[in-house]
Amino acid sequence: MTNDTNQLDEPLHWGAAFFGWICPGLGQIMLGHRRRGFLAMSGILGLFLCGIFIGGVDCVDRREDPLWFYAQAGSGPIAFAADWANSALLKTGKVGELIESPPSNPRAPAPLVSSFKTVTVASEIGTLYCALAGLMNIVVLLDALKRRPIDRANGEDAR
Amino acid sequence: MIPTIAFSTPMIGWIPFLQPAGSLGNLWWLLMIPLIFGISIAYRATHDASIDQFWTRVFVFVTKSTLAMGSLALVMYLFVYWIIPNLQTN
Repeated sequence: MTNDTNQLDEPLHWGAAFFGWICPGLGQIMLGHRRRGFLAMSGILGLFLCGIFIGGVDCVDRREDPLWFYAQAGSGPIAFAADWANSALLKTGKVGELIESPPSNPRAPAPLVSSFKTVTVASEIGTLYCALAGLMNIVVLLDALKRRPIDRANGEDAR
Repeated sequence: MIPTIAFSTPMIGWIPFLQPAGSLGNLWWLLMIPLIFGISIAYRATHDASIDQFWTRVFVFVTKSTLAMGSLALVMYLFVYWIIPNLQTN
């Protein structure tokens, strides 16, 4: 999103936007804005990995927290990988152990949840980090959609 | 804050990336700063026409955002702990 008004006439770069979703910042890199792309990538992947680091993989949960996941999915396949890790490692009890939690219906059997599943501040903050990483990546891929490729951008930031 | 078993989890037994960090205590709000830092890197990388002086701009963005959020927190603190109790007693 430069201040250049000629950018309004720029065609939409759907391929760059798609690859920007696959890997944050890749859209800008494909268009020749390497430094810009790597900076955006470091910001978004840093946010997402910090979120997982603080809150654990449980903070990305497609089934139990779908609204949060819609935002987190903006980060691309890494969000789906974290959700898969949550399902494959924690929910199956391969890591930690499965313990009974109080059922919402007294007649229903007590559901089993991972001992690593919590409702702590760390878990909430991890969820927030990952969601903001996803939302920021949407900003970055929208930028890739309209950004002028470097060969026509007068060497703006070719570094 | 809802007290849970994991809330009292000591950091020494913490498994990063699998388990939420325990014992953040009252310092959880400090995690706002790396959050703003990450957002500002992504924002400045796409928003500015030129990425000269990138890290200076990121630093200014982080400082302004942190001060703005701190000011809002101070206003909310004064409102909840000072203004509302005074309204009730008068």
